[in-house]
Amino acid sequence: MAQHSSKGARFQAVTANRLSDGEVVYLTADNQWAETFPAADIADGAAAGEALLARALPADFELHVLEPYLFEVLQDGAHFKPASVREIIRAAGPTVRLDLGKQADAKQES
Amino acid sequence: MHKDYQLVKDGALCQDEWHYSDDETALSDAPTIISLTRLKAEAEVLRARNAKLGVRLLADGNGKTKLGEDVAELAPYLDMLSLVSIDFPTYRNGRGFSAARILREQFNFDGELRASGDVLHDQWAMMRRCGITAFELAPTVSLEVFTKAMDELSEAYQPASDDQRGALWKRHA
Amino acid sequence: MYRYDEFDHQLVGERVTQFRGQVERRVSGELSEDAFKPLRLMNGVYLQLHAYMLRVAIPYGTLSSKQLRMQAHIARKYDRGYGHFTTRQNIQFNWPALDKIPDLLEELATVEMHAIQTSGNCIRNVTADQYAGAIDNEVEDPRIISEIIRQWSTFHPEFTYLPRKFKIAVTGHDNDRAAIKLHDIGIVIKQNELGDIGYEIHVGGGQGRTPFIAKKMADFVPKAQLLAYLEAVMRVYNRLGRRDNSYKARIKIMVHETGEEEMRRLIEAEFAKIDASQMLSVPQAEADRISAYFANPAFAALPATSAAMETAQKQDADFARWVRANIVPHKQDGYAIVNISLKPIGGVPGDATDVQMEAVADLAERYSFDEIRVTHEQNLVLPHVRLDDLKTVYDELQAHELATANLGLISDTIACPGLDYCNLANARSIPLAQEISERFADLDRQYDIGELKIKISGCINACGHHHVGHIGILGVDKKGTEFYQISLGGSADENASIGTITGRAFTEETIVDAIETVVTTYKDMRQDGERFIDTYRRVGLDPFKERLYA
Repeated sequence: MAQHSSKGARFQAVTANRLSDGEVVYLTADNQWAETFPAADIADGAAAGEALLARALPADFELHVLEPYLFEVLQDGAHFKPASVREIIRAAGPTVRLDLGKQADAKQES
Repeated sequence: MHKDYQLVKDGALCQDEWHYSDDETALSDAPTIISLTRLKAEAEVLRARNAKLGVRLLADGNGKTKLGEDVAELAPYLDMLSLVSIDFPTYRNGRGFSAARILREQFNFDGELRASGDVLHDQWAMMRRCGITAFELAPTVSLEVFTKAMDELSEAYQPASDDQRGALWKRHA
Repeated sequence: MYRYDEFDHQLVGERVTQFRGQVERRVSGELSEDAFKPLRLMNGVYLQLHAYMLRVAIPYGTLSSKQLRMQAHIARKYDRGYGHFTTRQNIQFNWPALDKIPDLLEELATVEMHAIQTSGNCIRNVTADQYAGAIDNEVEDPRIISEIIRQWSTFHPEFTYLPRKFKIAVTGHDNDRAAIKLHDIGIVIKQNELGDIGYEIHVGGGQGRTPFIAKKMADFVPKAQLLAYLEAVMRVYNRLGRRDNSYKARIKIMVHETGEEEMRRLIEAEFAKIDASQMLSVPQAEADRISAYFANPAFAALPATSAAMETAQKQDADFARWVRANIVPHKQDGYAIVNISLKPIGGVPGDATDVQMEAVADLAERYSFDEIRVTHEQNLVLPHVRLDDLKTVYDELQAHELATANLGLISDTIACPGLDYCNLANARSIPLAQEISERFADLDRQYDIGELKIKISGCINACGHHHVGHIGILGVDKKGTEFYQISLGGSADENASIGTITGRAFTEETIVDAIETVVTTYKDMRQDGERFIDTYRRVGLDPFKERLYA
């Protein structure tokens, strides 16, 4: 895995892939795994990031998600967005198939 | 130096008559498995010892490139050995499969070949095909799981150290 | 084509059952991910960015219509309506759910296909010349020995946990279309002065972060001894190949570090021991049985030319262009090899929809003796089409957007899935392939440029073969942003070479301009009849470098 959290990142979130179908998921404030990035809990600062990752690692999560990790997010006005191209693509879907992935679901809902 | 294990030999759980010794302890008359280093260093003395001797072949940790111990080094000592314990340090390290076949097919070793270390369920049957007859299993593995894993594939495509000829040969047997 | 017998059916069936059990144990929590991962990988199941990916083996790139229809069915039922043909002649599905994969594999087994050994540190699916059995001047159909190798290497008890993955490619022709010198073992079928068939063996080629052209290890291994020779290479590698560092674990590194001579000595010493047992000599009756599956189809006796085709060429300029670009002469009078480009302008290289796969399957059934081939350049082939039928086939392909007349041209790009799908990628590959093909969309301009192979990888693992592209592009990551490095002068054919990096990387915004600069430089310097690679080899890197970084 190439682009993970960069050192010195201020804001971070935790992501993983769901065991049953590989879907990209994010750890929420109430320790659930959500399918969309806006639902992700955001940690501010390195210590908060570590605490957030620790919440993603209990053994019982192994039944539901794979390889949780931290990644950098950036503040964008009132919202957050993933910092790296990799995480932008994971949060949306393939840039060459806008009809597939989360970006397509979002379109259907709106 | 050696983890707890249960021994399955020729398909059945059994008491292990062997034990592993380090390189310093004086050897008793009990069947003992020693390191290749010790075997080479004490070969003459050991040849005079009137008890069963085994050797452990390490697959890993030999210098920077971790090539492991070479099965060819056992050649001068085969007449002294009743057992070779082949080390599989992780399931990824499959060097021991070649060591087993060389012992069986090129050195005609007919003593006990056992596998020790970290292996996956579907590797047991492959080990058996390479001539391994005894398995040091983690205490958590049941004999039922082991036996089932051994029978998951009923045919083989290629010959190895067992008596399966392989489909390419068997079709015209 | 090879047909499974009871052995094959039974083994593949048992493997599906075994994997079903493994998936159930994983989902129930009995198996941890650490324990499950190697098992799923051995069955071709990867975890990518958005979902699992399943890689299905297409042995030596040959498919029947029924098998291709099954891929269409799988794409529809278990995936999102498309599949991706790879540089290893395989097909990948990008979205299957883990708990449905056992069902998928069960359906796949009904058409004699599987995903066994498409991943993991084992002997992977054997690849071969896509024109096997159709091209003139072939010593022998490479699929015969490929099938024997497939069987010998499947569930090999000694060689399933090698230091690293292991890829074998075979060609029976002097013009290498299987990139055999970029494989762990490359095999060229040869005939000696006595008329006997044997094999020239190349060992230690590969791409990745340290590319090497394979070294010729043996000039002529007699037919009956090939498996013994291969087993000797594998055993030397399994015993002495490095396991301390996965980047140094491929056999190419061992050949490089051990030296060609010593490597040859080790292999031959082991070969002598194995060969003496005669255990691996395939019985003649079995070799004949397998050969028979690859016998010529029932070709009709036809004239060498077709009036229908010539008339159509005069009447339809697009058809004429397609014939010129995508049709290769067949060994049999009156027939042609038809290349189906999976590189429409602006499309995703190697992708085909369920409907397109079914269309190709129908065409193969009606016009090509039920056979389809997959090429390592991510296209499809109908190997045996009558000249008289070419126009009909073309029209059908055209209706399904499968008639782009760009084979071997600048828009016929190899591209790995890249950061749009791949967990290992540093940068996207596909959008770049799309932009380049759109920039050079005009086919007349492409013909004027001539043969030019662009190959794009989204990371140093080089799945997009960038090292051997006439123009290679490597995506790199700098702090979460994509950059692209250019290399020039690579080639994957019988005159294989590794490209040279031009210099600092380009941004996503400037890379396509840079490619155009390379092409313009070539056009300015080329002499009569020179292809890009010829000009490059004559003038070297410097003129290109000067223009690129001016």
